[in-house]
Amino acid sequence: MILLNVLRVIMVKNKITEAGRPADSRQVAGAKIEADNLMEEASEVFDSCIKCGMCKSLCPVFKVLKEEQVSPRGKAIILSDKIMDKILFECTFCKGCERNCPLDIKICDGVKKAREAMVLRGKGLKSNEEMMENIRKYGTPFGKGDKKDLEKLYCC
Amino acid sequence: MNKNLLKIYETDASQLKGKALDVVIPKTILEVRNIVAKSRRIVPRGGGTGLAGGCVPQNGVDLVLDLSKLDIIGSYDKERRTIEVGAGVILDELQAYLMLYRLEFPVKPASHAIATIGGMIATDAVGSRAVKYGKTSNWVKWVEIVDGYGNLHRKGVTELSDYSGMEGITGVIVKACLKLAPIRKRSASLVKVENFDEVVAIVHKLKRDSSVSMVELLGKQVSEMLGLFEPDESGEVKSAYHLIIEYEDDSGMLNGKEYAELFEMRDKIGPMLSGGGYSRLEDPKILLDKSDKLVSWFEEHGIPFFGHIGVGIFHPRFDHDQEKYIPEMIKLVKKLNGQISGEHGIGILKRKFVEINDQKILRNVKKRTDPENKFNVGKVI
Ligand SMILES: Cc1cc2nc3c(=O)[nH]c(=O)nc-3n(C[C@H](O)[C@H](O)[C@H](O)COP(=O)(O)OP(=O)(O)OC[C@H]3O[C@@H](n4cnc5c(N)ncnc54)[C@H](O)[C@@H]3O)c2cc1C
Ligand code: SF4
Ligand code: SF4
Repeated sequence: MILLNVLRVIMVKNKITEAGRPADSRQVAGAKIEADNLMEEASEVFDSCIKCGMCKSLCPVFKVLKEEQVSPRGKAIILSDKIMDKILFECTFCKGCERNCPLDIKICDGVKKAREAMVLRGKGLKSNEEMMENIRKYGTPFGKGDKKDLEKLYCC
Repeated sequence: MNKNLLKIYETDASQLKGKALDVVIPKTILEVRNIVAKSRRIVPRGGGTGLAGGCVPQNGVDLVLDLSKLDIIGSYDKERRTIEVGAGVILDELQAYLMLYRLEFPVKPASHAIATIGGMIATDAVGSRAVKYGKTSNWVKWVEIVDGYGNLHRKGVTELSDYSGMEGITGVIVKACLKLAPIRKRSASLVKVENFDEVVAIVHKLKRDSSVSMVELLGKQVSEMLGLFEPDESGEVKSAYHLIIEYEDDSGMLNGKEYAELFEMRDKIGPMLSGGGYSRLEDPKILLDKSDKLVSWFEEHGIPFFGHIGVGIFHPRFDHDQEKYIPEMIKLVKKLNGQISGEHGIGILKRKFVEINDQKILRNVKKRTDPENKFNVGKVI
């Protein structure tokens, strides 16, 4: 129940309807403006980024995938150009990158803002929307599932 | 790769920007061979920490070949004290593994947490322990390279110079056998020195001390930026140089946590200056006895600097307005019989400063090793 309420608050804050998308055209225009502002703010976070790559060293996502595009520097480069891409969801917000950034850039803030903007523009992850839908309908992120499985779920 | 993401591979730590045809990230040497055989222009890329634009693709015709996934740490040969590694292995990942055997790869560029072994060999990276351990190539037994036709070759010590320090213009390094050294107990001291003649005298003395593994210089401006100036007994704050000295025994004042913090600070100096607007970095190398002239020139022009003074490598940092002085500095370095690049390489940035004779030598090596002219075209020469 607590989890459901939290999700509702997030959705109201993001001006998202039950279907996970903005409702009428006025809302669509408003959401676009808000998304543009958020992307502007996200790109400003990286104004002083010097592309040194030091942030890569503690990133668990980069460590596993070894692909520069999912690294924090990769995210910094596309966000400097206000590009929305689903790689922005490949981040655990662990802040390892921030610990090693010599310029104290708040990388997670930038990524978070960009994700919000993407959701507002209907460019969020389908799997996230499905998860929210499942929680709303069945009370778990996994959907209908077996009743026995549901009993095994604990809430923190 | 989608165009938006391509941007990520069109730059590196030099902050130069280029245009790529595409990016490929092979997982095996066989994949590298097939890609190279089929492609016209290749830019090998490791950690993208290069400071001369060496892995920045040009004109939308270069295929970026990211070798980061060749990250297998292979067999360790206990008798010979060597290890085989993929070109994409990151230095610190290798060091973490080698801890098991109380061994290390002793060359340590400040980018040790992100630079790859392939990139380090290609640039013949130097780093702060050069005074004791020299360059990366001193610690390479052999490399495996892929030539322009996609063929795989193993090159031993006698042919290593065709690939180490050639910045990827002669072929793709895919694997290497590295020599290792035992991990030493280390300590360090941070020493304040008021005039540069004294710095030179101390460094000469330290270089004769076999327990010293690192002598780093912080110029006056850099020392001030780091907040290292403290008032003396009279309350007066005097500007001074600082030396970071690392010992392979207990001689240093700093151990454990303090030692680690000192080097954390040291590794961040370059990026910190960059962030403060001094974004253009140079790396001239000069004999210690001639370095006073270079240092005076930096100070006259208000250019902050630091460097691996134990081996004569200086890192002056230029802001946008000071960049116009770079040709003058290069002229001075050449006049003092120094080298224009001590460790970061020529890449795109310093191409125009390479002497004609050196260009001829490099062109001959390039023709011999890469007759198809596939690798890193427009870099170095
Ligand atoms: C914060 C910071 C500190 C640094 N400190 C030092 C230092 O102390 N000492 C020092 O020497 N350098 C230093 N550098 C520069 C840089 O880290 C080194 O040059 C490093 O060796 C580059 O490794 P890389 O894997 O990032 O190579 P990249 O930057 O990816 O490539 C560098 C060059 O090598 C070529 N190359 C890369 N991999 C291969 C391969 N497998 N086969 C063929 N060619 C290849 C590329 O085409 C390019 O020309 C520093 C850089 C940064 C950002
Ligand atoms: S460490 Fe900081 S400055 Fe360097 S690339 Fe990452 S975000 Fe940019
Ligand atoms: S916060 Fe995201 S980008 Fe930063 S280190 Fe963690 S996973 Fe990587």
